[in-house]
Amino acid sequence: MRSLLLAVLAAYLIAAIHSVLAFVNKRRSLQHVAEWSIAAGFIFHTGTLVADWIIDAHYPIFSLRETLSFLAWALVALYWLVFYRYRTQAVGAFTMPLISVLTLIAASIGHDTITAPAAFSATWLFPIHTTLLVFAYAAFFIVFMASVMYLLQERELKLKTFGANFHRLPSLTTVNEIATSSAALGLTLLTLGIVTGVIWSSSRFGRFWRNDPKEIFALLTWALYLFLTIYRLTANWRGRSAAWLGVVGFGLVLLTFFGARFLGSYHVFG
Amino acid sequence: MSILLVGVNHKTAPVEIRERLAFNDEACANGLRQLVDGEIVREGLIVSTCNRVEILGATASDQLKFGAGRITQFLDTTGNLPAGFLEAHLYSHANEEAVRHLFRVASSLDSMVVGEPQILGQVRHAYALGVEAGTVGRVLNRLVHHTFRVAKRVRNETGIAANAVSISYMAVELGKKIFDSLKGCTVLLIGAGEMAELSAKHLVNSGASHVIIANRTEEMARQLANEFGAATVPFDQLDQVLHEADVVICSTGAPDYIVTEARMRKALDRRRNRPTCFIDISVPRNIDPAVSNIPNVFVFDIDDLESVITSNIREREREAERAELIVQSEVMQFQQKLRLIDVGPSIGALRQSFQDVARAELARQRKRLGELSQDQEAAVESLLMSTVNKISHPLLSQMRRFYESSEPDVADVQKELEE
Repeated sequence: MRSLLLAVLAAYLIAAIHSVLAFVNKRRSLQHVAEWSIAAGFIFHTGTLVADWIIDAHYPIFSLRETLSFLAWALVALYWLVFYRYRTQAVGAFTMPLISVLTLIAASIGHDTITAPAAFSATWLFPIHTTLLVFAYAAFFIVFMASVMYLLQERELKLKTFGANFHRLPSLTTVNEIATSSAALGLTLLTLGIVTGVIWSSSRFGRFWRNDPKEIFALLTWALYLFLTIYRLTANWRGRSAAWLGVVGFGLVLLTFFGARFLGSYHVFG
Repeated sequence: MSILLVGVNHKTAPVEIRERLAFNDEACANGLRQLVDGEIVREGLIVSTCNRVEILGATASDQLKFGAGRITQFLDTTGNLPAGFLEAHLYSHANEEAVRHLFRVASSLDSMVVGEPQILGQVRHAYALGVEAGTVGRVLNRLVHHTFRVAKRVRNETGIAANAVSISYMAVELGKKIFDSLKGCTVLLIGAGEMAELSAKHLVNSGASHVIIANRTEEMARQLANEFGAATVPFDQLDQVLHEADVVICSTGAPDYIVTEARMRKALDRRRNRPTCFIDISVPRNIDPAVSNIPNVFVFDIDDLESVITSNIREREREAERAELIVQSEVMQFQQKLRLIDVGPSIGALRQSFQDVARAELARQRKRLGELSQDQEAAVESLLMSTVNKISHPLLSQMRRFYESSEPDVADVQKELEE
């Protein structure tokens, strides 16, 4: 399935280049190319994941390669959601490069021979646990991206520099809404992901909490985004400080995603 | 046929000269009739606005030089100026350059404020005057139609007119960068000056649904309120409405700060931190600059507005570079079209010359036919003509079809061909 993933990578790269150029040049034709290649990439990517699932006979979130590829796919799905809802072209310029990098790493890892222990595919709870969490990570990235856009645009407005960013970034209300709704979505997914993980763990190992670094970080992340969501709810608009939280929170997400492995977690990925 | 453009604009001539050359509608019609003599200048059009006076003409290709001279002379007489006086201010373009110039003018690339929308309407008006005066023919007709197309393309495909470049429109632009859409926004006018009124008008046109006016003289406030269906509040009760406003436009003559930091903090608490955008066009300023230290409050004074305008103009200029590329490719397309126009009249002439050849041959051989009755004579001639016509018809109609397919308006051309 590597060749198919390379095709996906090519489509995403074209989309990334065109989105960034469209962001800089504000050319509609470039934007169209980007949208079409994202759509094509997404279809191929879905096909790759399905093929992986059938050929390897396990749900395609287990190894690092699979997880990164799935994460990229989830990001594209969320990109479509945001784009469809808010019509902000700048989102593509911010997400597509990351999506391309994730796909590139996934494609360069090559096919791994790790086969998942039967236990993981025996129950439907584990795939749901991982899928929910991958989508939660993707949602938190969207929060991060929207928060960065918010901070950049707010800076332009406060300092009155009115540079290129001022013309190209969406309005404060739009990015604030994207961040708020993505944070709420991410929090919901994370909660469900943790709950399914706990249930799965207790049914398999008889214990629901193992003091694993990943579990601790996940709980911290959950607390942070819970705070962020409540913080936004208590006052209608928190703007800058909420945006900073969205940026910092993503650091914690990264730590949960990658960092835990280096601290000796029994979790693999996802 | 060649296209010729002679004129002055705001870059080449000061207003003292432009005003002497300017044509009103009536002068334009008279001038055109005088200028277009059917000999040297075959077709003509005058574009006269406050920033430019330009005369567009079509001449036979070999009379280009005379044409330019004649138009220059015409301008000299119009402005009552001594010959040669205009030389330093006048520009004169021919063929490709003239076409490019017209395309650039209509696309607002040659305007004082690049991207301003009026110029296209002015060119359209000039065209209408030319049509009325009967001085627009085959060539200019096509050129002007193509020009409209180019202007439309530039407008649609580039952001040349996308960003505001006037202070009164700035409120809309900045409001949109904060609220995205102004639909349902509340506008508060502190002071009811002319600029505030104009800004409010733009905001309402962009969807703002409530306008509140606070003015020291209530009479003025009420007058303006009637216009917008707005509410008025006494000046000293500003605190009761300050928290409702999404966009505040301040333009009083007060010598001190009307909205202070403390006052705004209270209002912001009441509006649950939703952002507020202040546009302060008064000098001395009426909004304490410290207000902008409050999160979610954005204050723009007159200098800030000027700097956005400068930035927007820079942005427009970036877009203008792309517009130039469109113009360039359209000029090339039009030049190709123009070559086809020259084919048009020769179709009729060709048919005529075929018939002439046949008649000449008949005249040459007539003697050898001897005495013929009138019927027979007619039969011989019709035999000859119908042979010539039938042989040349497929060829000529093929040419005509090809020619007409390059037409903006087939009906127009048929009318012209009949004449």
